[in-house]
Amino acid sequence: MADLTQERSDEQTSAGGNDHAGVDQAIAVQPDRFQQPGSAASKEKVFELQEISVAYDGNPAVKEVTMDVHKGEVTAMIGPSGCGKSTLLRCLNRMNDLVPSAAVTGKALYHGEDLYGPKVDPVQVRKLIGMVFQKPNPFPKSIYDNIAFGPRILAMKGDMDEIVEKALRGAALWDEVKDRLESNAFGMSGGQQQRLCIARCIAVEPDVILMDEPCSALDPISTGKIEDLMLEMKREFSIVIVTHNMQQAARVSDRTAFLMVELDATEQNRWGRLVEYDETQKIFTNPSNPRTEDYVSGKVG
Amino acid sequence: MEDSVRGARIQYQEELAALEERALGGIDLVIETLGRTIEAVQHRDIELAQMVIADDDRIDGRYLEVHQSILTLLATQAPVATDLRLIAALLHTIKSIERMGDQCVNIAKLIPLAGHQPPLDERMLGDIVTMGKQVKSLLSQAKAAFATRDVELARDLVRGDDVVDNLNRECFRRAIEVGDEQDRREWAMTMLLVARALERMGDNAVDIGEQTAFVVTGLFQEFEDASHPMPAATAGPDQG
Repeated sequence: MADLTQERSDEQTSAGGNDHAGVDQAIAVQPDRFQQPGSAASKEKVFELQEISVAYDGNPAVKEVTMDVHKGEVTAMIGPSGCGKSTLLRCLNRMNDLVPSAAVTGKALYHGEDLYGPKVDPVQVRKLIGMVFQKPNPFPKSIYDNIAFGPRILAMKGDMDEIVEKALRGAALWDEVKDRLESNAFGMSGGQQQRLCIARCIAVEPDVILMDEPCSALDPISTGKIEDLMLEMKREFSIVIVTHNMQQAARVSDRTAFLMVELDATEQNRWGRLVEYDETQKIFTNPSNPRTEDYVSGKVG
Repeated sequence: MEDSVRGARIQYQEELAALEERALGGIDLVIETLGRTIEAVQHRDIELAQMVIADDDRIDGRYLEVHQSILTLLATQAPVATDLRLIAALLHTIKSIERMGDQCVNIAKLIPLAGHQPPLDERMLGDIVTMGKQVKSLLSQAKAAFATRDVELARDLVRGDDVVDNLNRECFRRAIEVGDEQDRREWAMTMLLVARALERMGDNAVDIGEQTAFVVTGLFQEFEDASHPMPAATAGPDQG
């Protein structure tokens, strides 16, 4: 599952500008002080982030995040604007490679394998670790072709009709669109378009789905459908979601990471830092850190 | 940045504080009612007992008011963390308050049954009056502990409740020895029911203390486990 080194090895060095020097250095792994004994510790880890920092043009955006993401769970990242949660999310499938000025340091292990290792193929990474964005972004094609696009590019084996149907069923969209698969995807509602993007994501049979504010452009009914879908999908995929909606994090996630903005002495530079990471139930009923308490109860934003 | 946004949701915070004040104010209503109840027992004052029964509507009204406010806050403000624990604790507390109001009514209804005659066992009546005063004191302590989030003061309620429990056992012993005459036995049985109601109120005060500890620590733990009690030093009725 975690074979990240398939083909295209010539491209791995082309994601210019990234400084992964820290990856090769021995990094002391901090004990996970947030981990509950006997609970998540026994679960298989999908990601192990060790002192991950991201900087744009030398300006830190996120500093020294250490946390694990577990298989078959929904992991939520919450925090105020500018706390670096989307930046951190993009580290998980090397989307930051696409930003020339971005530099990622620290270690990101995916099923124990260094995600930023020299032999890792970013395209293979993004196949295994799919992403759904804030705004639905279907291709200007038919519903069918939107789903079939990825599997065709990857030359996936099997009957394409079956692949499309399976993906649409997986995204709870099949019954709504099965009679108009050749219609243009732009004719769908916003909520349907977002579920189409989820279907497109799962069509290539990923291992992890990253979601960056997937419901922020949707009404409550569409949001409810996506949330139901996430709870269904976590049986098959691990999900990491960035959300501004704390109740959504409380509703759908198993574990929640809270990031906060830190300022330097001049107050000119700011970056995100992980404040607390724990079981969601704990974060929303009895958080350990007063800053988490203030944020989740809406006393600071 | 934090300074600029600190103080968000001020109206919500004010509503929450007002809710707590109204809920804990219910304890004052119980203290007042209990004072009248004990006075009615002590002086066999049936009219005062009738007032206690009629006045229970105030405590029931407070329960409904706090209950509705809690539902509104849950529905509109989605409280979490300490706020959520506080609201859950207030729901428990107001229920305890409502129950204590009912216990006062239970006692008040017993007063006519005990008759107008002077008490047949002055010492037993004295114990019951002492129990009533002790429960009032426990309730004041429970309110103070909750309002100041003082877990140690809350835990100390157990010590005061033990005094109530011991007096209850003493009443039981005296009732056994009160004599063979039917009048005496009836009187003693009635007084035992009064003592039992007071003993339950002491437990309610401890329950409020346990809720205080829950608000502060996030962990619910019974201060005393009635299902697995320490070996009793003396025989007597079960203490809840």
